[in-house]
Amino acid sequence: MNNTLQHVGNPNVQAVDGLDKVLGRTKYVGDMVLDGMLHVKLLLSPLPHALISQINTEPALNVPGVKAVITSADFPDNGAFGWPIKDDFVLAHQKVRYVGEPVAAVAAETEKAAAKGVRAIRLELEKLPIVSDPAHALDADAPLIPLDPPQDSGNLCETLIVRNGNPEPILAECATVLDEIYYFQHQDHAYLEMEGALAIPEPDGGVTIFANDQSPHINRGNASAILGLAEDEVRIIQPPVGGSFGGKDDIVYQLTGITARLALMTKRPVRLLLTREESLKSSYKREAMQIGLTIGMDNEGKVRAGKAAILADSGAFASMTTLAAWRASMHALGTYRYEAAHVDTQVVYTNNGYSGAFRGFGNTQSAAASEIAIDELAYLADEDPIEFRLQNILQQDDKAFTGNTIEYESGLQKCLEWVRKQSDWSTKREDYPKSNLHSDLVQGIGVACYFHGSGLGGEGLDYARATLQVNQDHTITLQSGLTDYGQGSRTVFTLVAAETLGVSPGRIQMLRPDTHTALETGPTVASRASIVGGNATRVAAEKIKNMLQLAAADLLSCSTEQLFWEDETVIGPSEIPVSLEAVIDHAFAMGLQLSARGYWQLPEIHWDLATGSGVPYSTYSYGAQIADVTVNRQTGDVTVNKIWAAHDGGQIIYPNGAKGQLLGGIAQGLGYALTEGFSYKDSYPQKKNLNQYHIPTSLDVPEIESTFVETTFPIGPFGAKNLAEPVMIATTPAIANAVFHACGVRCRSFPISPAWLRDRLSDVTPS
Amino acid sequence: MKISFTLNYKPITIDVPPKTVLLDVLRDELGLTGSKPGCEIGSCGSCKVIIDGEAQNSCTIAADRLEGTTILTIEGLSAPDGKPNDLQQSFLEHGAVQCGYCIPGMVMAGEELLANNPFPSRLEIRQAISGNLCRCTGYVQIVDAIEATARNRAQAKEGS
Repeated sequence: MNNTLQHVGNPNVQAVDGLDKVLGRTKYVGDMVLDGMLHVKLLLSPLPHALISQINTEPALNVPGVKAVITSADFPDNGAFGWPIKDDFVLAHQKVRYVGEPVAAVAAETEKAAAKGVRAIRLELEKLPIVSDPAHALDADAPLIPLDPPQDSGNLCETLIVRNGNPEPILAECATVLDEIYYFQHQDHAYLEMEGALAIPEPDGGVTIFANDQSPHINRGNASAILGLAEDEVRIIQPPVGGSFGGKDDIVYQLTGITARLALMTKRPVRLLLTREESLKSSYKREAMQIGLTIGMDNEGKVRAGKAAILADSGAFASMTTLAAWRASMHALGTYRYEAAHVDTQVVYTNNGYSGAFRGFGNTQSAAASEIAIDELAYLADEDPIEFRLQNILQQDDKAFTGNTIEYESGLQKCLEWVRKQSDWSTKREDYPKSNLHSDLVQGIGVACYFHGSGLGGEGLDYARATLQVNQDHTITLQSGLTDYGQGSRTVFTLVAAETLGVSPGRIQMLRPDTHTALETGPTVASRASIVGGNATRVAAEKIKNMLQLAAADLLSCSTEQLFWEDETVIGPSEIPVSLEAVIDHAFAMGLQLSARGYWQLPEIHWDLATGSGVPYSTYSYGAQIADVTVNRQTGDVTVNKIWAAHDGGQIIYPNGAKGQLLGGIAQGLGYALTEGFSYKDSYPQKKNLNQYHIPTSLDVPEIESTFVETTFPIGPFGAKNLAEPVMIATTPAIANAVFHACGVRCRSFPISPAWLRDRLSDVTPS
Repeated sequence: MKISFTLNYKPITIDVPPKTVLLDVLRDELGLTGSKPGCEIGSCGSCKVIIDGEAQNSCTIAADRLEGTTILTIEGLSAPDGKPNDLQQSFLEHGAVQCGYCIPGMVMAGEELLANNPFPSRLEIRQAISGNLCRCTGYVQIVDAIEATARNRAQAKEGS
């Protein structure tokens, strides 16, 4: 690592927006109140699949206090939206396709009046047969869910392939072939702040919307189409966002469209906030997925060939599920060397809510499936699971199962070695089985590792823009269109700018995204903010730095090569120190415009969807985790005692934040493994509120020992890679593999049900 | 319905509609938006305030039970000049804040614990905040922040 850095990597740096948050002063969208503001309540579909035979909103308008009621008829093109597949509507059109789908919206003087208005709407639905099991979504007699099948093939939403050589003849030669299917339920994001939007009509016919989305520019493009306005007539301002994890895009775009339309109709500010129960019902989830893996190895434990078959449940709409399924496909066989590999993925429509983006974006499932499969192979080979992995993992210059070469240094081996050493792995692997004999509480230790493609990869051009300006009062203003919904990117960008400029971070004020002032910069997704947003900030800061150098040289009557900066002071040949303030003043006097734009993009790559080959990502981040668990043989309960985690994120820019991302990611992975099944029964959601949908509490999260290993990634800002998503994906398989070590039961369905495990335990003799 | 209580060290009398819960009184009637709604059934802790020394979920407390009580919210914790108190400062130093939505409730839970148990173990801290959900941090740095504050307060007491 670079030891000359002052701000980047400084362990004492605090979040730039932390103070307002600890004081309770931060204004989230639900905390904003305007004079004359109307409140909105939604009519949600009570049925999973039905035709809307009639919807009469007249009675709602007669409720005192109600000012407006809207349905899909109030939008151009009926409010159709959705990318990459335009199959959704702001409010249900012609039919409802899941329980909780917004059908109509009522704006009223009070929330109570709006709720009364919703109850007054007469909605007549004609029940349709449902698809609740994705495995039957493509049956010939399955009821059709989309209005226009995107693949001209019923409920088929998307197919994806990977074709790298031919695995079949190699599998036929393999000494051992594992063939298993892994199942994953839906997961809810459960950010503590629910989704919301506040729309304000502008006198010129436009509309300004405060929305807690992830990607304001995408929201603007979407909203302008939904509202029939020009893009510059729609202004999206992003307030602080109370967590997102991929979850506040499409659903918030809907709320944006709804509040904007109502604001334009009533000419009053309009606010809509979902309650937790509405959020759990209506918002999109991590897609349920089943992953079948066939992996062959020779008799020396060398992995040789693999096949994966993925079935993803997109629910009622595509949202981001097709792209998440693409990422799942690009990681399906894990971070190992294969001579040949095929992946076949299908994304299907059902009536189980709808699915979209969620941290890990398909690799949460793929890493879990492949890491359990690898553990199964290590067991069949009678090898230590870490030794088995070390023999087979990808290193720099190896080829991934997708056929592309690993171009940059991989920290995976270092990660595996660190968690092995810190956890005292070998001793515990040996000792636990002995101490487990004759005990109802059995202990185990398991490992998992991962690779995770950085950025959008083959999904699209991966770029960002940033603007930076020095003000006459010597402060510096930084803006990016990339959003900080808690992950710390405002702090990261501030540190990158401070380091590049050689100024104190306190001098820099980072504005929030506002589509009228921030440059369009693509979506805030795919853990890409630090790399592309950080580099765009660096580029802008380098331009400003050059101008300051010119001004300093002019002021000190020397060449720029003769300048020496220390902190915010510059010295020239005269050896009289001059302050940054004086240099800034001189720059303005010279007429220099101390503002700059930065643009940066990842190297362009291409993945060919038709042939299933190409380069899916220009680089990857890596990591490994070990879980130590106790299984109660009587109840089937799994308790996680400790987790060791190592992640290769290149140069860490904001250490406190990076550690928080890692710890929080592990907590989400823990929930995914053990409690967070957002289940549907006959397409009806089974979890109403947070007393039924259990995310981990402070008592569930164990002690965690973690580290970031150092690798070189020359094109990252100061060498930084991504980390927000991948840090969560090893936790579930590490726990499952530890459960196997503890009690000999292979968990292949998640979350792990204690009742299921208890029943299996009665079949298994203690090893 | 008229009720009188002490809020953030000041006596207050207000008129609220019947069946109102404290969270709505704070947010809608008094404009104190530091306490957050997260579930409205007392399951997440985002709306936690301290009533007569006890941390409570304000979304489940009916306004008619407030008569004569003493209530402390996140807004009453910092110094009048807006400086964070030592626990709030500790949250910043330990990287315990990400999206920030759960933080006011977390801080109140931490304050209640430290008032009643000046020397909590890590397990006792985890127990004390177990009714406060956080989706970002995994709780570890929050526990670190509360633990460090306990230590510092104990040392300050010893020194005085």
